[in-house]
Amino acid sequence: MRVLFYGRLAETIGPELEIDAPTGCSVAELRDRIVAEHPQAEQPLRSRRALACVGDALVRDTYVLRTADRLEFLPPVSGG
Amino acid sequence: MSVVARLEEEALRPEQELAALIEQATGDGAVVSFAGIARPASEGGEAVYRLALEAHPTLTLQSLEDIAVGAAARFDISHVRVVHRCGDVDAGEPIVFAGAAALHRRAAFEAADYLMDRLKTEAVFWKREIGESGSEWIEPTEADYADRERWS
Repeated sequence: MRVLFYGRLAETIGPELEIDAPTGCSVAELRDRIVAEHPQAEQPLRSRRALACVGDALVRDTYVLRTADRLEFLPPVSGG
Repeated sequence: MSVVARLEEEALRPEQELAALIEQATGDGAVVSFAGIARPASEGGEAVYRLALEAHPTLTLQSLEDIAVGAAARFDISHVRVVHRCGDVDAGEPIVFAGAAALHRRAAFEAADYLMDRLKTEAVFWKREIGESGSEWIEPTEADYADRERWS
């Protein structure tokens, strides 16, 4: 599964990872796995302001990922 | 009613955006606009040379449109215009323009205020200050989120 990162997450982890997610894996479980492999990204990944998207739509932590999904983690956004 | 939401990769000219809004506002009695400028110093007082604004390929424009449409639906306004820079913005250069036209001033003032409170916290950008102390990610403050909550 393709997992994309932006902002400070892309700086810390890189813009993209290819992860073999097990069947039935949720967004929260995948996040735990990424944090375990990239502990320096824990704070922005677990921020309550961070967002997860699949197909340009926000998804909750309980969303069950499918192999074809492209998951994106967005650290807190800021315009203006 | 017109709603304009645009992502600008080149220089943003607030005076041109304001002129376009006034031209559209035939029959209206009020136009209120806000221009955000890249500050030359960080909160800590260190020199900032430029802002780097990273955008998402689809969600950034979508967020600008959503915010502009939100203002049009919420306030008694005739026209709304949001233009936001992406890429590198030198200190002193405009980053954002937000404006609204209405029959009467109160709705236009409120719409501009609403637009900026939402843009600060919901526009999909990742912003870095680049200056004498290197590069630092900038995120909304708790005060910014509290300002946004005023409209919930």
